[in-house]
Amino acid sequence: MKFTIYQESRIGKRVSNQDRIAYCYSRDALLMLIADGMGGHLHGELAAHIAVQTIAGSFKREARPALRDPLLFLSRALTHAHQTINDVAANRGLPEAPRTTCIACVVQKSVAYWAHAGDSRLYLLRGQRLLAQTRDHSRVQMMLDQGLIDAADAAAHPARNRVFSCLGGNHAPQIDLSRETPLRTGDIIALCSDGVWAPLGNDLLVHALADANPMLSVPRLLDLAGTRAGENGDNLSLIAMQWDESYAGNTPGNVSTLTMPLDAVTTEIGEAGREHGPSGLSEDDIERTINEIRTAIQKFSD
Amino acid sequence: MLPQQINQPLPSGFRLESYRIDHQLSLGGFSIVYLAHDEAGTPVAIKEYLPNALALRTEGSAVPAIGNEHLAAFHHGMKCFFEEGRALAHLNHPNVVRVLNFFRANETVYLVMQYERGRTLQDHIRMHKGRLTEAFVRNVFSRLLNGLREVHTRKMLHLDIKPANIYLRNDGTPVLLDFGAARQTLASDAKTLKPMYTPGFAAPEQFRHRGTLGPGTDIFSIGASMYSCLAGSPPLAADLRLERDRLVPATKRWAGRYSQQLLETIDWCMRLDYSDRPQSVFVLQRALGERPRLTPASRWLGAIRQRLSDFISP
Repeated sequence: MKFTIYQESRIGKRVSNQDRIAYCYSRDALLMLIADGMGGHLHGELAAHIAVQTIAGSFKREARPALRDPLLFLSRALTHAHQTINDVAANRGLPEAPRTTCIACVVQKSVAYWAHAGDSRLYLLRGQRLLAQTRDHSRVQMMLDQGLIDAADAAAHPARNRVFSCLGGNHAPQIDLSRETPLRTGDIIALCSDGVWAPLGNDLLVHALADANPMLSVPRLLDLAGTRAGENGDNLSLIAMQWDESYAGNTPGNVSTLTMPLDAVTTEIGEAGREHGPSGLSEDDIERTINEIRTAIQKFSD
Repeated sequence: MLPQQINQPLPSGFRLESYRIDHQLSLGGFSIVYLAHDEAGTPVAIKEYLPNALALRTEGSAVPAIGNEHLAAFHHGMKCFFEEGRALAHLNHPNVVRVLNFFRANETVYLVMQYERGRTLQDHIRMHKGRLTEAFVRNVFSRLLNGLREVHTRKMLHLDIKPANIYLRNDGTPVLLDFGAARQTLASDAKTLKPMYTPGFAAPEQFRHRGTLGPGTDIFSIGASMYSCLAGSPPLAADLRLERDRLVPATKRWAGRYSQQLLETIDWCMRLDYSDRPQSVFVLQRALGERPRLTPASRWLGAIRQRLSDFISP
């Protein structure tokens, strides 16, 4: 595994920094994550802190040195963080559970996987091109999807900070999981809080990230976002990682993968995961379990 | 990926195996329950595994769409659904909901249960707020405990007993429902199953020291359910009580209105320390079966009280 990574979190113009960021890696797996504690709710930073600690803790336990199933890991780790936040809130007798957004990304065997709740984002860049981006769990994003407003309206919308999924709180979070995304040499993955993407916009962000290596681009982007946000600037957090190995490069014998479209590769990996993955249920497993249950029903009927 | 996935229920009249769907009875984050009829016209309740966040059924299609990226999580949830089916399949008791069939269709799985007419204890409590009698509480819970005893005998725990999961048939007999949280306690891979609990009815060990669950965990929830029959609302959550126990004991709150023995039994079940509670359903049943009677001491106290009141208001 070879990569270049740089992370930084700044307070902006706020009285406290409710963002928490982290990355950890084993020989075979890399985890990056950002949690943005939600203002307007009590103890947002507590929620962000617990989320980062819990998810990093799960990674340390399970990446030995590879994760068995990165997507399942992400889904469980985020759900577990949600429950831990609620447990801590209840144990401390807090009147309301604190909340946080969360974006987490795992890279393993040159394949990227990510999961998020809320409006902290992930961008995946190849060359100068934006290859993938998370979709915010916000009402504004929903209106945008439905064509009710356009991008300019969204950027200025009064409710643009309202999210409908987060870790912590009464509602189970909606956690969106990514596809398994193979990486190529030079691909850049960036995670950021809304304090960074909101004042910059996608175009500027993509340009600056593609322009230089993370060690240079991250501080540069934070400077720019801070300036643009002005007197009321939010907390700013950004992690950028440039991948120096290639998924295709790892299978030199199989030339055809080089020419295959990205989607085909992704789908094939997905299929393999379903059939042989340690957590997967094969068709046979399902049939066998159902038969077992039906036999038990018969046996215990009068 | 759509931001919010709202699943459409199967339409009325839909043929599902040999059943015909009537209408949706309830909707949860992980499943939809329908009223349906089998070929003989007997009503049944069918629970469909359909996790909202992972599988999307749009109008006009029976088969939900499951993204490749969600398959692992979908299968994990399916395993939990299997656990519920497995738990119920091994139980055949008048006070436990009976599973009749289990099958696969529409690329998901279905659990068919006996349909009972009546209402949940939760609804009953709401309708009779604070007016449930001692005889009612003793009756319902003694019978319900017959079912729970069967569950425990099979080395299983329910782990989510609460008035919403206790159904009262029209004839007044109780049925224990919803084994979604049930776990075969002997299974060692319990860590892969997400813990779930309902504040107010879950025992403290379900919040904290997970893994030290036992029959006493369900007994705590029975006590909390009895408490809520008297109170008309759920008791203070156990995790809050661990901080500072502000729960008014039943013996204090309803002194004189219910027999001391019943109130003591409720408080006994709801002790925070696992080892302080009744250690088996059988022990608890014996306590509930006891008719309240006047002890010599209380007769003596009653006599004094009588004399005092005579003295005060001649």
